[in-house]
Amino acid sequence: MTPLAMMLTLSSVLFALGLLAVLTRRNAILVLVGIELMLNAANLNFIAFWAFDSPGAHNAAEPVLSGPMFVMFSIAIAAAEAAVGLAIILMVFRHTRSTDLNKLDSLHG
Amino acid sequence: MIPLLILSPLILLAAIGAVWMARPVHAALMLALTLALVAVLYLALGAEFIGLVQFAVYVGAVAVLIVFSLLITRPGDEAEEIERRPRSLVTGLLCTLPVMAVLAYTAASGSNIKLIPWQPKLSIAELGEVLFTSHAPAVLALAVLLTAVLIGAALFAREPDKTQDDSSEK
Amino acid sequence: MNLFAAISTEPALWSPEWLPRLPQRLVEMLLGFLGAPEWLVSIAGFLVAAGTVVGVFLGGFALLSLIERKTLARIQNRIGPNRAGWFGILQPVADGIKMLTKEDIVPAKAEKFLHLLAPILIVVPAILALGVIPYGREWTPVSLELGLLFFFAVGSLTELSVFIAGWASGSKFPMLGAMRAISQMVSYELPLIISALGVVMVSGTLSLPLIVEQQGGFHLGFIPAWNLFTPWGFFAGILFFICSIAEANRCPFDLPEGESEIVAGHMTEYSGFKYALFFMGEYLGLFAISALGITLFLGGWQAPLPGLGFLPSWIWFFGKLAIVIFMFLWIRGTYPRVRIDQLMRFAWLCMIPMALLTLPAAGIWTILNRDGHGFLAWAITVPLLLIPCVIVTVIFNRRLASANRTYRFAE
Repeated sequence: MTPLAMMLTLSSVLFALGLLAVLTRRNAILVLVGIELMLNAANLNFIAFWAFDSPGAHNAAEPVLSGPMFVMFSIAIAAAEAAVGLAIILMVFRHTRSTDLNKLDSLHG
Repeated sequence: MIPLLILSPLILLAAIGAVWMARPVHAALMLALTLALVAVLYLALGAEFIGLVQFAVYVGAVAVLIVFSLLITRPGDEAEEIERRPRSLVTGLLCTLPVMAVLAYTAASGSNIKLIPWQPKLSIAELGEVLFTSHAPAVLALAVLLTAVLIGAALFAREPDKTQDDSSEK
Repeated sequence: MNLFAAISTEPALWSPEWLPRLPQRLVEMLLGFLGAPEWLVSIAGFLVAAGTVVGVFLGGFALLSLIERKTLARIQNRIGPNRAGWFGILQPVADGIKMLTKEDIVPAKAEKFLHLLAPILIVVPAILALGVIPYGREWTPVSLELGLLFFFAVGSLTELSVFIAGWASGSKFPMLGAMRAISQMVSYELPLIISALGVVMVSGTLSLPLIVEQQGGFHLGFIPAWNLFTPWGFFAGILFFICSIAEANRCPFDLPEGESEIVAGHMTEYSGFKYALFFMGEYLGLFAISALGITLFLGGWQAPLPGLGFLPSWIWFFGKLAIVIFMFLWIRGTYPRVRIDQLMRFAWLCMIPMALLTLPAAGIWTILNRDGHGFLAWAITVPLLLIPCVIVTVIFNRRLASANRTYRFAE
């Protein structure tokens, strides 16, 4: 197994674990935990393709930075997503006194 | 290669913990561990800047935010979670395993092309230059997004009545 | 690993400049003499260099715990510890023996493993952060290319460990203390990092030794070219100092462990050696954040006046460190504790806007000075910073600081 294949397998398992958390957890905050895992799996792929690329594929004069660049933006957006997500969860909690997603089935607050 | 071999099982174990721990705070702490280990993997692969940013943002901010909101919402005890877990696990695995199988198969089969690890060096000077020249529109868009998020989160999390929020969360 | 952009200068063997690295070099030479492989030599060198720093600051911790009590006693017209040894000099030893021999109690409701983990996780980031500071011209234990980022990355671990301490104790006051500590540290970390960013903008590097080197030289022959003596650096330095008081949980921002309100915050359920570890982590964190402030704004190991370069540079560093630490003690002995709503308002409505303003000021300053408009740089940046500062202060004093607190659970 090449290092690249290992990294990709690792990230696919990580993604699946995140998906599992999103599907099975009832607590809204822990669903967010699953989403963070999935985001990280995607980031891992970017770094993997950046780190284990073939040397001849690029113009040597040009720095290859697409991978890290994507990861930087994705980290920033993940932080924003966590902040907004948690704020929404807190607001829901204030209305219903619960973060259990199964209990949020009424259409009026 | 060696750091990858050591770190990948650790990352997976920590991630399984984050998914499987019944107590919400334990799950959140395992998530923090997972993210920290991924940051170490980035460091080992030569992307130091990304690794340290990942550590500062995820462990220092996102994980802390998550445990803080767990503290505020105080989820109930985990007996119910443990009780309904077998059922939910079956359903969850039914949905998840095909996804994982497809992804892992593609990853393992598609990358048989000989790609030589070339260990590129991530130079922050170059990164900064590219970030503020060719990627400047993206940076501006991100700045607008983050400002909107700051304002939006502050508005959302505010107490609806006029009591003073003495521990303003954010 | 290219994480270690080693600055490989070989100093003269017995110069005083070189004294702090003596143990490291001796071990390296000894191992080399014994014919050890190269990787073993370098690892042993790193370990000994780290051990030197840890040893120096553990000694500093013992000394500071005595000096703090003596200084506070002087401020409050008392005598302070004076029984153990001459002038109380053996008091740290007595304290250490007391801490080590005390019973270690773990509450029945505590999470055993996390309860044990928290004090360790408090000390580790402080020691890691101390490892990247340039203490002298030839003495940077680990010279990282991304030193400043590393410092903030490991520093952010403290919040998580405070949370673990508060939560794992399974009791009320630690939980309250942890919530206070996290909201305070998250709020003050923003202006802390933003005020440090100005220095990064001007010096164009994240490497701490390079930042210090760029502050060498003198204006007009006697004013050191430190970042503190520029308009933006002055404001950023003051903001950094205030934030570091909050990050180190020192009075007047010591709400997380305000002993008259919530016993000892997240440390309530700890005793014996674990409590000592918290104490140690706090003091090491204080050393680390002061050392970073000195590196960024006070010229690190640079001498304060020309012609004083004959003294080894690390003496200047530790002299500055002593002065900064004394400022912390002085403030602790003088100011009363603030209220938590005042604390949060101050962070979000005063500190962050002012910290953000130092960034354009630093940019304008650099560009105008590069083009040779030194006077214009002063003329633009000083009002740019001073006027908003006055406005923010006046508004804060009139409206926000004096706003009456509404009591939810009391009359």
